Amino acid sequence: MDQGIITAIRTVPLDHYVLLSFLLFGIGAAGVALRRNTIIVLMCIELMFNSVNLLLAAFSAHHSDPRGQVFVFFIMLVAAAEVTVGLSILVMMKRIVDSVDVNQLNRLKG
Amino acid sequence: MSALVLLSVVGVVLLYLGLFGRRTALAATGVAGLLGTIALIATGWHLESPLFAGIVRFDGPARAYTLLMAGATVLLFLFGVDYYARMQRNVAEQYALMLFSLVGGILIVSFSNLVMLFLGIEILSIPLYILAGGKRDSFRSGEAAFKYFVQGSFASGFLLMGLALVYGATGSFDLAAIGTWSADAAHGHDTVFLLGLLLTLAGLAFKLAAVPFHFWSPDVYEGSPTLITAFMSTVVKTAAFAAFHRFIAALHLPDAVGTMLLTMTVLTLFLGNVVALRQTQFKRLMAYSSIAHTGFLLLALVGGDPRSGDVLFYYLAAYTLATVGLFIILTLAKRAAQGEEHIRIFRGLFRERPWVAVAALLMLLSLAGIPFTAGFVAKYRVFMLGLAGGHVLITFFAVAMALLGIYYYALVVREAFAPREQEGGTLAVAPLNWLVITLCGVGVVALAVWPVALP
Repeated sequence: MDQGIITAIRTVPLDHYVLLSFLLFGIGAAGVALRRNTIIVLMCIELMFNSVNLLLAAFSAHHSDPRGQVFVFFIMLVAAAEVTVGLSILVMMKRIVDSVDVNQLNRLKG
Repeated sequence: MSALVLLSVVGVVLLYLGLFGRRTALAATGVAGLLGTIALIATGWHLESPLFAGIVRFDGPARAYTLLMAGATVLLFLFGVDYYARMQRNVAEQYALMLFSLVGGILIVSFSNLVMLFLGIEILSIPLYILAGGKRDSFRSGEAAFKYFVQGSFASGFLLMGLALVYGATGSFDLAAIGTWSADAAHGHDTVFLLGLLLTLAGLAFKLAAVPFHFWSPDVYEGSPTLITAFMSTVVKTAAFAAFHRFIAALHLPDAVGTMLLTMTVLTLFLGNVVALRQTQFKRLMAYSSIAHTGFLLLALVGGDPRSGDVLFYYLAAYTLATVGLFIILTLAKRAAQGEEHIRIFRGLFRERPWVAVAALLMLLSLAGIPFTAGFVAKYRVFMLGLAGGHVLITFFAVAMALLGIYYYALVVREAFAPREQEGGTLAVAPLNWLVITLCGVGVVALAVWPVALP
């Protein structure tokens, strides 16, 4: 990796990256748990994944170890695959109940 | 390597067979591929371990679990011949996705790097989200797919956060390196590492359906097509537990993690068994029974005993055999009762199909843990491990829960052997289904005398 970027990442202390990631992760997790609109839920799942990407990139730069950033690529790939399946499930749901509201899915008691 | 390539290629071949409309060849090709995989793993031909720059290691336990999962998939494919016979479209995709999911399962039972753990879990899960929604026009199937997807992705998020923190603390994704790092007394109280471990284990616990991370699991089990429910509660559960054990066995766990595992065990045992008591729908009963068994399996792990790997494998094998057989019998009875799932659909089973009823009895007794079945031996070995680990109170609690569990299995047995009041539809048993039911029924008894030990 370009040494300039590593230096730039390191100018911010590691704690700040960790706190920002936790904040983003918390927003994402709360969104999945609380929001009713399934498309927002899908976006919140992406937010959770991306907060981890940020954290991995920061750790990677601070450890001077490229493996963390390689993992980020894998996560992006998996997130793309997940969102593909997730969106098609949403389309299926829209076709059946004509709505994207989570509360419409309540026929299985639980 | 050879086994992974073979399974993936067979999956693609199945998709092409579906494209050219060769429906009759699907299950046969799939089973041939699985038997080939079993042969490759058993003989170790071109196994190439370590693989992919050392992130996958096919050691003894990994190969044993692979054989178990591939064997269970063979049984499910044989069942699939009859199950998918009435399905009009996309049958090839169902078989192919199950094979792809199995590849993910093989990767997580043999991982030696956290990157592979994550990738394997996703390869295992993503086909399952599609499979859960396999009945495209069914509301229940769609709901199950959506709930499984959200729960699975949410769990993956926690798992990833945990893995990132573990990497941040230790500077490595390699399981052995993290194990060495965690064994160092100076690192015993590292907060980042501890938080990472807790989040990783929580993420994995979602996959095990351990309380309090079970959320929508019963709904998913109830709503998915029965064959897929059977796949989830056998192959996926085996893979998840093997990976969970592989992960915690390699590390030196801080005390807080041990407490978390114990709490999870107690909660899972309690909720799984107590809620199962109130269930009258058989599929949902099996879902809670699956959660209850997760509790017993967790108890085998918390002690950190070197023998817990053997016990875990034995328990999973016994559970897999009984579950596959019971789900097949459920499908047949459900068909005869026009889609009903209440346990009364089993009424009169003994009058009509004595052997199927006896096989169902053996499998239910095995799940309940009655002596002379594999389930009893498995539970007995788990309790012995619990006592040896010094968790006397929790072991007694687990014994009490096991006794409670006998009640809801006995309810189903009573239905199966009760005479039928009015005439219903007749229960048709295809020869292949009969074969699988017999294999499972005999298997749960035969396994009781076979002391399994992992290489």
